[in-house]
Amino acid sequence: MSLRDNAIVAYAETKVMKKSDRDVWVLAGEILESLLDKTGFDKAEIDGLVMSGLTGTGGASMFWAQSTCDMLGLEVGFCEQVHTGGCSAVGAVARAAAAIDAGMCEVALCLYADTHVREHNGRNDRNYRRDWTDPYGLLGPPGAFGLLQRAYDAKYGVDLQALGKLAVTQRNHAIMNENACEELRVPITIEDYINSRMIADPIRLLDCVMLADGAAGLIVTSRKRAKQKGLKKQIIPIGYAERTNFLGGDNLVDVTRSGHEIAGTRALNTAGLDIKDVRSFHPYDDFLIALVIQFEAFGFCKPGQGMAFVRDTDMSYKGTLPMNTGGGQISAGQAACSSHNLIEAVRQLMGEAGERQVKDTTNALVTGIGWINYGRNWGSSAAMALVPGE
Amino acid sequence: MAVTIHDTLDVKRDIKHYDFGMPFWEATRSKKLVIQYCKATKKYQHFPRPVSIFTGRRRDIEWREVSGKGTVYSFTIAHRGPPAFHGKEPYAVASVTLDVGVNLIAGVVNCATEDLKIGMKMKPYWHPLENGEHLLFWQPDKDAA
Repeated sequence: MSLRDNAIVAYAETKVMKKSDRDVWVLAGEILESLLDKTGFDKAEIDGLVMSGLTGTGGASMFWAQSTCDMLGLEVGFCEQVHTGGCSAVGAVARAAAAIDAGMCEVALCLYADTHVREHNGRNDRNYRRDWTDPYGLLGPPGAFGLLQRAYDAKYGVDLQALGKLAVTQRNHAIMNENACEELRVPITIEDYINSRMIADPIRLLDCVMLADGAAGLIVTSRKRAKQKGLKKQIIPIGYAERTNFLGGDNLVDVTRSGHEIAGTRALNTAGLDIKDVRSFHPYDDFLIALVIQFEAFGFCKPGQGMAFVRDTDMSYKGTLPMNTGGGQISAGQAACSSHNLIEAVRQLMGEAGERQVKDTTNALVTGIGWINYGRNWGSSAAMALVPGE
Repeated sequence: MAVTIHDTLDVKRDIKHYDFGMPFWEATRSKKLVIQYCKATKKYQHFPRPVSIFTGRRRDIEWREVSGKGTVYSFTIAHRGPPAFHGKEPYAVASVTLDVGVNLIAGVVNCATEDLKIGMKMKPYWHPLENGEHLLFWQPDKDAA
């Protein structure tokens, strides 16, 4: 595999805001400026732009990535928008690396800027929803995860103490993360989680992500170019896989299974890693139950053992399996096109996570979850293994 | 769980259809449930698609009337609905596995909160829409064995 001939050489992010006080293009400009400063690249050297399609602000534009080039004065040989929902953050890195391998660009900006609270233009009803679920008031992701979690409960059993432990672990990480949404940086207890109000029973308020505004970005280039440029910190994508519409050719699908069964295995095999070798885990978190299903799908534990795995494992930044050490989206805010967990993994592997720095930076595993389909679990599943290089 | 679930029958709805799903909606005019059937694989699929999800071929699709009887696979109780549903909460939405092997998601009526359970038998309740079509809801099938 050749994606690993490339590396992430810099990251940037704004603070997550409950509602942005400035335009999405200003946030994008701040990210570009920060990445140019960090890498020493001249703007003219950036010849690739890969954006996330998971954008409420850009969701009404057919020309979002191109108009971003226009706004930022970028002239590129590769201009791309990734449409795998919450998998688009890692998907952008993979596509940037593939484009570099294919000779379409050499220095790519992966840009994740969105202000979907300040300005939401996106639509998500030109699919099954307008005929088949909107007429019943099934409320988007919380409704779908309500169906999912109750089915999981019936099959395996849900332990609210375990879900509460996940909520508290991530919240404690957000409190240590000065870029997390300020309104979420308050301590919670397992009882707070259990007593939080029902949104889509059995989904509670503290099961859910909160939409927030912000931006982040990465520079991906070939390791050769990075070396020429004297960029010492290189984070290498050594394994990547994605799966969209898992079991899409079946009519009845067990919602406790997901495409991570395939994406996870392939990404780890490519990376040459066993799941037991993973040193920090940065799973996509839109709902807490999604974390449990991922522990099972990736093989940290057997199907049905996710709750016990949570009970038995210290997932804090200093634990045996550090997880979402920046707070995850649930406690940092769902901002910047859901790139938060990816950016945190890169920061950890670069050794720049400050007081929440994990000890073992041998590798990190980042995942994505994208879109909600009809009566299933989610539309896209992705996994990317990262290691620090020279 | 001492909440009483409401029905959402009097919510104003303006449902837009896709042309390839129209046989479903046309059948609801006479309170019939028709589901897409793949002739090549002898399997049903729901929601309606432009092709068979099993073979990828449009020509394999036909529509068959089914009983509408099924069992609850899962359900959720909405405590916070979209704007048109504000004031109706809490209300229930269930995914029901039909006896022909597809899941169909719909609202629940005529069901006490404490009775709503995974595995319970359901049958259609047809709610008239202004255009002459009916919207399928689920209600307990008390006659089912």
